[in-house]
Amino acid sequence: MSIQWPLVFFTLFIGLGCGTFVSSVILTEWYGKAKQIRTISSILAIVSIGVGGMSSTLHLGHPERMFGALGHPTSGIFMESTMSFLLGLTIVVYLLALRRNASDATCKMIGTIGAVLAVGLAFVNGDAYVMASIPAWNTWILPVLYVASAAVMGCFSIDMLLVRSEDADITTLAKVNRVTLIALIIQAILIVAYLVHIAIAPYPDVTRSVTRVLAGNLAILFWGGMVLLGLVVPTALVTKFSRKNNAPLTSVKFGLVSVLVAGVAFRALMFLMGSSIKQFF
Amino acid sequence: MSQRTMVVDLDRCIGCKSCEVACKQENGVILGCTWNKVLTVGPTGTYPNIQMYYLPTMCQECKEAQCVKVCPTGASYKGEDGTVLIDKEKCIGCRYCMMACPYGVRTFNEETKVVEKCTLCTQLQAVGEQPACVKNCPAGCRFVGDIDDPNSEVAKVIQKAGNENVHVLPDVGNRPSARYILHSKTATWKE
Ligand code: SF4
Ligand code: SF4
Ligand code: SF4
Repeated sequence: MSIQWPLVFFTLFIGLGCGTFVSSVILTEWYGKAKQIRTISSILAIVSIGVGGMSSTLHLGHPERMFGALGHPTSGIFMESTMSFLLGLTIVVYLLALRRNASDATCKMIGTIGAVLAVGLAFVNGDAYVMASIPAWNTWILPVLYVASAAVMGCFSIDMLLVRSEDADITTLAKVNRVTLIALIIQAILIVAYLVHIAIAPYPDVTRSVTRVLAGNLAILFWGGMVLLGLVVPTALVTKFSRKNNAPLTSVKFGLVSVLVAGVAFRALMFLMGSSIKQFF
Repeated sequence: MSQRTMVVDLDRCIGCKSCEVACKQENGVILGCTWNKVLTVGPTGTYPNIQMYYLPTMCQECKEAQCVKVCPTGASYKGEDGTVLIDKEKCIGCRYCMMACPYGVRTFNEETKVVEKCTLCTQLQAVGEQPACVKNCPAGCRFVGDIDDPNSEVAKVIQKAGNENVHVLPDVGNRPSARYILHSKTATWKE
């Protein structure tokens, strides 16, 4: 299958938005740290989700008929649209609560509802592709990888917002670094698991082979995008931040761009391996 | 439950592609779109034991059509006779059905921005005629009818061929209803 760019950016921005919001809620509401970034992270999350949503409509031949999808609540597209809408709404309510100085408990509750929706949405984004017709996609590893990708992007985006804010303290930054490292390790494990899935998936074909990914025409996306930009560069940056006990804004921004590009590479690679069992036409 | 579908006798197919042309003409299938395509399988083996056969491909009229299952608008649906059809007025052009089809036999029309596929020429069958590919096949190797009705032509054709010579495309839970007849004396069926 050719790369469906609107869908690549749909899930990339949804992932960034979900990751940012979840990381922010965990850090600020659950751990009570860096509360100063609550508003800006929520705005970043909702804008990102909006951009993702708009990108998805570019994929549709007839977006004006989209409301027809309301009648089929079990379809992946219905789930994605509804959850994006609900998450957007929750973030708006959360922002209003922050603005009106609502109690900590209220903010925590709204934030937690949004975070649960966000994790669900990142998962559903990947789950919509799990289908028996496309062997390379037919695994639960794929949606989990979407969640991991969202987590890594979210960690870097939160890191950037923290470093930007004047009063970020060292211990908070160190915590975020540690969590980012864990997210990167999980992502690395999932990538290996995904390669194993591709290797043992039924109906093997050269279009979806491990050889194509590791040494064929997808190698540049895999090694350059997913491994170098998605794992090596961010891991090196986070390790350096931890060791030196500081994180220069430019380096954090570079890390964020790096994981975003890696996110594009992963999604593009997924589409390029998305050949049906038989691709007659 | 009735299931209208197509049976193709590969022993007889000469790969002339008349069916492809007839389909395009009857249904106004635009350049770049395909509803029906004749593939060449092989040649395989080493001289002098070489095999090859032609495989006309089209929608397999699945009983558990995955394209219908994933369609968010109900544009893809199963008609009363089991034929899988698309209501183009409802289609949002999301191409989700194209991903869900295990055989890649749906096509996206870049002009109308909706998905299309073989309809078994419902318009012709409604007036008592055979689909264009069936009518125009010079080898008489295509048959259409209700495979669940033992008295239908398709059921009789596959019964006559015998189970071991009747083949079906890989089934991943979609239960394709189309059948291909290929005797081993012509060639060995390739999965
Ligand atoms: S062959 Fe493909 S398009 Fe036809 S009914 Fe089956 S899943 Fe749908
Ligand atoms: S492209 Fe049209 S027929 Fe296919 S799933 Fe989307 S709405 Fe349904
Ligand atoms: S028209 Fe008949 S003989 Fe010719 S390619 Fe099609 S199925 Fe085969």
